[in-house]
Formats: sequence, structure tokens, C-alpha cells
Amino acid sequence: MSTVEAVSIAASAVLALLVVALLVATAVEHTGRARRAARTARRRAELTPLVHALLEADDGVDAPDVSGSDPLLDELVIELLPQLRGADRTALQAVLVERGVVDQAGVMLSSRTAWRRGRAAELLGNVASGRHVPQLVALLADPVADVRSAAARALGRTGDVAAVAPLLAGLAVRPGIPPGIVGMALLDLGTPALPALRAAVNGPVPEARPLAAELLGLHGDPGAADLLVEVLADVHRAPVVRRSAASALGRIGSPHATATLVSTVTTTGPLEVQVAAAEALGRIGDPAGLEALTSGLRTGAALVRSACAESLAAFGPAGRARLAAHAVLLGPTGAAARSALDTLDARALGRRPAPVRVAA
Amino acid sequence: MTGALVQAVQAMNWTVLGYVVLLDAATLLLVVSGGRRVLANRRWSGSEGHDHLFASPLTPAISVLIPAHDEEAGILGTLAAALGQRYPSFEIVLVDDGCTDRTFELVREAYGLTPVTPHWTADLPVDGEILSVHRATTGDPLTVIRKATVGRRSDASNAALNLARHPLVCMLDADSLLEPEALLRVARPFVEDPGNVVGSGGVIRAVNGSLIDRGTVLEPRLSSRWLVRIQAVEYLRSFLLGRTGWADANALLIISGAFGLFRRDLLLEVGGMDAHSLAEDAELVVTLQEHLRRQGRPHRMVFVPEPVCWTEVPETWTVLGRQRRRWSHGLGQLLWKHKRMIGNPRYGAIGLLALPFFLLFEAIGPVVELLGLASVAVAAGLGVLDWGSAGVMVGLALLVGTLLSTTVVAVEEFTFHRYGGKRSLSALLAAGLLENIGFRQVHAWYRLQGLFSAVTRRTPVWTAMPRTGFSSASDDRSPARVSAVGGGL
Repeated sequence: MSTVEAVSIAASAVLALLVVALLVATAVEHTGRARRAARTARRRAELTPLVHALLEADDGVDAPDVSGSDPLLDELVIELLPQLRGADRTALQAVLVERGVVDQAGVMLSSRTAWRRGRAAELLGNVASGRHVPQLVALLADPVADVRSAAARALGRTGDVAAVAPLLAGLAVRPGIPPGIVGMALLDLGTPALPALRAAVNGPVPEARPLAAELLGLHGDPGAADLLVEVLADVHRAPVVRRSAASALGRIGSPHATATLVSTVTTTGPLEVQVAAAEALGRIGDPAGLEALTSGLRTGAALVRSACAESLAAFGPAGRARLAAHAVLLGPTGAAARSALDTLDARALGRRPAPVRVAA
Repeated sequence: MTGALVQAVQAMNWTVLGYVVLLDAATLLLVVSGGRRVLANRRWSGSEGHDHLFASPLTPAISVLIPAHDEEAGILGTLAAALGQRYPSFEIVLVDDGCTDRTFELVREAYGLTPVTPHWTADLPVDGEILSVHRATTGDPLTVIRKATVGRRSDASNAALNLARHPLVCMLDADSLLEPEALLRVARPFVEDPGNVVGSGGVIRAVNGSLIDRGTVLEPRLSSRWLVRIQAVEYLRSFLLGRTGWADANALLIISGAFGLFRRDLLLEVGGMDAHSLAEDAELVVTLQEHLRRQGRPHRMVFVPEPVCWTEVPETWTVLGRQRRRWSHGLGQLLWKHKRMIGNPRYGAIGLLALPFFLLFEAIGPVVELLGLASVAVAAGLGVLDWGSAGVMVGLALLVGTLLSTTVVAVEEFTFHRYGGKRSLSALLAAGLLENIGFRQVHAWYRLQGLFSAVTRRTPVWTAMPRTGFSSASDDRSPARVSAVGGGL
């Protein structure tokens, strides 16, 4: 027997042992899992009435004692928490505080394992624990992206406006927090965050400006309309900020913005800003915007033309009449008008009530 | 003379064995690395912020593009699953790519399609004539393009891209069923790392044999056909753990055309899908990586190791052969087109790791493996085969392959264990063993044929896979006895 053959036989023996070990481990997991699942299901079923009793406690019924209950109760409560609001949510939050789960999560925020830090942050967010805001803010600089995101989401749920500045600042640092996560966290903070968002539109963090403008629009903050009009009118501002301001003005729906939006649509400028302004005019629905949209439909670039056509479609009969007048034209203007009218027709068909079947 | 021949044959056999062991060891490394990532991800389960993403008005909208050619068997299930996505804002663009069956009629009846004037958002070249564009009147965000086929899926995809309106586009096969949170899961990397992520892919699994109702996989089951079971193991290895491992190394080469999400602006920037590629999904990923790396722009291809997309796999050797020849042909085209990237440090892990791996093991693999088999046969025919050595070689190769398959099934069992049924585990383990005996050799033959077509520059022809379709749970009064494609376990 050659050396190569001998080595091969030895390697085969090791491989065979590994295969057998894997097979045994897999079989044990397979049989054990079904048993574990059945046991957990049984325990959950036993604990469900207790959770119901906890929810009913604020309706004049005494809260049951849960100090010595199964740890699975915590899991059940944590699962249920994001789906609840108001008194029910407060009742279950109190249970988690009472059972020491919140304190334990506070300790876990400094765990060496990333997923433990992330899960702890998630839990603290769900219980809206204001006590741990500084630790959560510190986690915004965590080396693991998932942990930073979990901390940002949690800060949004705590309802503490002190989190606004660190969240916005997190957009500028590297590695930072994604705008989508920060945006949602700021939306979660609600209207108390509005003053900070208004300040951020002209604030020192450039990355925060477009997001702040967009969020003011999503909040529908009428108090920000003048500020956003100024931003949109300022041609020296970054197009991305002007675009967000235009979209926000459309969402706020204030006719005070119409003149600036009309000017943006009809004046040559960055395409993305013109498109956003045209869309905003459609959302606001101020008749003073009809002329500008019609003009954009006739002369604008392809994207602006489409946006103007869709906005005219949103205007109701007046916009529809203008689209119909242009739909007979050949070329891109006619095509954009016809496309918008067809979309309207398809939507109208969808809204039509189903035909009533008459029995023979 | 005979001595020299024996020595030559032995040397050849040991070389081939070394190659096979190296290939399986490299794959095992990928699988173990992917398995570790999958296990790590499972720990985050429930804390990923999916509800947050779903509720967010800042989550980017998605255009789901579905090219379809003769897909009457399953198109309604695919559309029901796609339209039932738990995602804040999306549209579906279905392309009837010259269907000769009732695909269009079925969709028209189900969704009350009405012709509309198209609102094109891009002007990528499309060879097949656009015949008409239709929109659903049922309130569903569904648009259907009817076009003449030119026998290329990429042409249909480009037509759909020209109509897509949203910043992200999802490529979806017309025979695939998405899980309700599929879009949310694959879009998450775009929300969390919008500056870097350019593509994101999800796991593809074999749906044949599963219990399905109106596009929803109620109970994933293994098919009773061994060919399908073997592919189930193969998909777990390559499409779940392999790709997770590659993505971890920042060297993901393929995001499956069956289910992948990309930034629309970048797709338009590189000119859409390659019109002549048979592996347009891999081609797109490599083109994007090459383009962005050359320009020094940030880019990251992500793989989401969650069970998200169920697809029909071939049930017969004939159909399997056609599919694998096409894949191999496409891989050959891809490697030739991007030959400058192979081994080139300028392209990072893709150039130094992924492309050399695909060249050495995926493209050349069938040549070496079949050469090894031929050399054994020649030696046996000449009477110079050392049966003892041959036994040792075959045993070692089989054991490495079996360890690989067993590891894959073990990871599945410890993590997702999605396939139900009492005997699914034993069937998967047996399929993993059978994969090494018979399937692997026939597969190598198909791949060799595909490679030959690529080397000889044969005109690529895209042939649609015959579909069996998804049967409904309501087709049978006893759901426990219902099975979809090919019968359940």
C-alpha cells in the first residue's frame, strides 16, 4: 500500500466518523424539537389566561401575582407588546418592569454579544423605557450595524425628544445609521420632534436637511410651510433638499406654496425638483396650479411631462378636461395625456361596484 | 510499456481525486461559513424591525418584474403571491412574452385587464415588438405588457424595466411563489444601507410536492420524486448556504433571476439585462460589480438567508438536462465576457475568489470529473486498473461528498427545518447520498454539453421549462392528501 493510499484511508475513516456524528446530532435535534415544541405550546396555552387577566387588571379587576411565573410569560408579553396601544400596553410594560426584565435588558445593552445588545435595545424600545435613553444613544455608535439600527428604532419608541439630535447626528458619522431608520425613529417620536426637525432643515448637519424636510411633510406640519417655501425658492440650495421641500409642501397641502411651486415647474432647473414640484401641485389641488401643469405637459422634459399629466389627472374634472384636450395630439405630450387618462379610467373601472347577479 | 500506462492512469486518477476532494472541501468551507451566518441571523429573529419597515412611509417602493412565456399552469398562483406581499408600496409588471397558451387570458379574466397607453420610464432597447399594455381594473397594482417573443428572457425583462416606475426593481420568475414577507426581507438591506447596497437576493427553494393554496405555500413538503429531492438538497447547498458564504466574503456572483432586488437607476445605467446572455442574472450582478468598481463607487451585493421564494424545479431528466446545459452555457459566456476580471485584484474578492472558483470548479469541473471516470473505464478495459486503489479513491470521494450533503441537511435541520412530513429528514439525507452516486455524474455530462456550446459559441436559445403548475389545497377535500407538483411525501 502506497503512502497516498494510506493517507486516503485514514482521511476516509475521519470523514466517516464526522458523517456519523453529524447524523446522530441531526437525529437528536429532529426528535427533540418536536417534543420541545409540544411542551412550549402547552405552557403557552397555560399562560395565555394569565396574560388576559393582566390586560383586564386596569378594568377594576385586581392584577394577578406574576412574580413567580414561568419565564415564558416574559416572551409572551414581549411578543404581544408591539401590537398593543394605550392602557393595555402600559399594563404589560409594568409587568416587565416588575419582573425585572427591563433592568436585565438595560444590563444586556453592554453585552459582548451583538445580538444580545440588539435584542435588549429592541425590548427597551417596545417597553418605551425612558430610563435607558443615554445607553441607547451610546449604542448609536456601536460597531455592529444591526445594533445601531435597533438602538435608533428603540429611541424612536421611547418618545424622548432628547434623542432627536443624536439621531440626526448619526446620519453624518461613519459608520452611521441609515436615513430610513433614523427617519422612522423620528416619525415615531411624533409632533414633539417638530421644532428640532424645523431647525435641522437649516442646521449644521447637511445629511439631515433633506430628511428633516421630508419628515416635516410626512407629519403634515403647517407651521413649516413658510420655511419649506424659502428652501424651495432658494436656487443655491442642494437640489436634494429642494426636492424634499417640494414633496413636503405637497403633503402639507398649503395653497400658500402654490406660487413658488408654479415658479419651480415653469422655470428651468434640476429635473428632480421640477418633478417633485409638479407632483406637489397635484396633491395640493389649488386651481392656480392648473396653468403651470398644462404648460409643463406641453413643454417639459419627459419626466416633468409625465408628472404634470399625473397631477392634472388628480385635479378632477378641470384637469381631466385639459388632459382630454391634449390627448388628441401626436407626440410625447399626447402620449403622456392619454396614459394619464387611461390610468384614471382603469382606476374608475376598479371602483365600480360588482354587477348584481339576478337569479334566473 | 504497460507499467508506464498503469502509472499514467494512476497519476490521472489521483489527480482527479485530488481535484474532487479540493472542490468538495472548498464547497464545505462555503457551506460551513454560510451555516454560521444563518445561525447568527436566526438569533436576531423577531428583532429585525420588519414591522417598522412595513409601517414606514420612507421604505422605497418596488416594481416587481415577471417575464412569462407559456406559464398558464402557475401564473395565477405567482401573481396572487406577489400581489399579497406585505410591503408598503409596490407594483407588478408582468410581461406576456409571446405566450402561445392561455397565460394572458387567465390573467385578463382574473384581474379584468383593460388596454392603456403606456407610460414609459426608460428606453432600453427591446427587440420583440410591444403589442399592447394593459392594467388591472380590480384595484391591484398590476400592469401587463404583451410583446412578441424573440426567445430571450432578458428582452422581456428589459421591456418590463422600461415601464417600471419605482426606485427598486425585483426580478421574479413566473413559476415562483413569494412568501408574504419576502419583499420586506430582501428590501431591508436597501433601507439599512442605502448608500452601498445595489442588489439583494433571497433564498430559492424547491416547491414541488408542497401544499399550496392560491399562491400561498401552506405546508412545504418534499416531492416523492428522487430527482426533485436531490435538487432540494442541491438548492440548500448552493442557493442557501453557498450564496450566504459568498456574500459573507463580499464575493456574491449570482443573485438568482428567480428572485432578486436591484436599484433601478443602476440597471438602466448598465443598459439593462444583457440581451444575449443565458445566465442573465449572474451576468447582471457581475456587470454591476465591474461597472461600479471601475468607477470607484460603493457597492454591496447582499444575500438574505431566509426562506422567501419557492420555485418549481425540473421533474424529469430531459428538462433538467435542458436547464443545466443552459446554465453551463451561460456560465461559459459570463466567464469569457468578464475574463479580464478573473484573478484581477482590482476587482477585489470577486476577481480573486469568486470568478477563479467558478472557472476552476464550476466551468472546468465537468471536464475533469468525466475525464476521471473515463480514465477509470479505460484502465479497467485495459485490465490495468488497481481495484484496491480505485476502491480507496471512490470511497474517499464519496465520503467527502456525503459529509458535504449531510452538513447541508444538518444546518437545515438546526435552523429552518422547513420541509414537513415524517420522513422528510431521512429522505433529504438519502437524497444527499444519492446526489453523489449517479446524479453528480449525469449532471457533469449536462454541464459539459453546455460548456461545449459556450466554447463553440453556439447561438444561445432560451427554452422555457415545461410547468406542472401549483395545485390548490381546495382542489381536494382532504388537505392532508393534497400535493402539488409531483406528489408529496
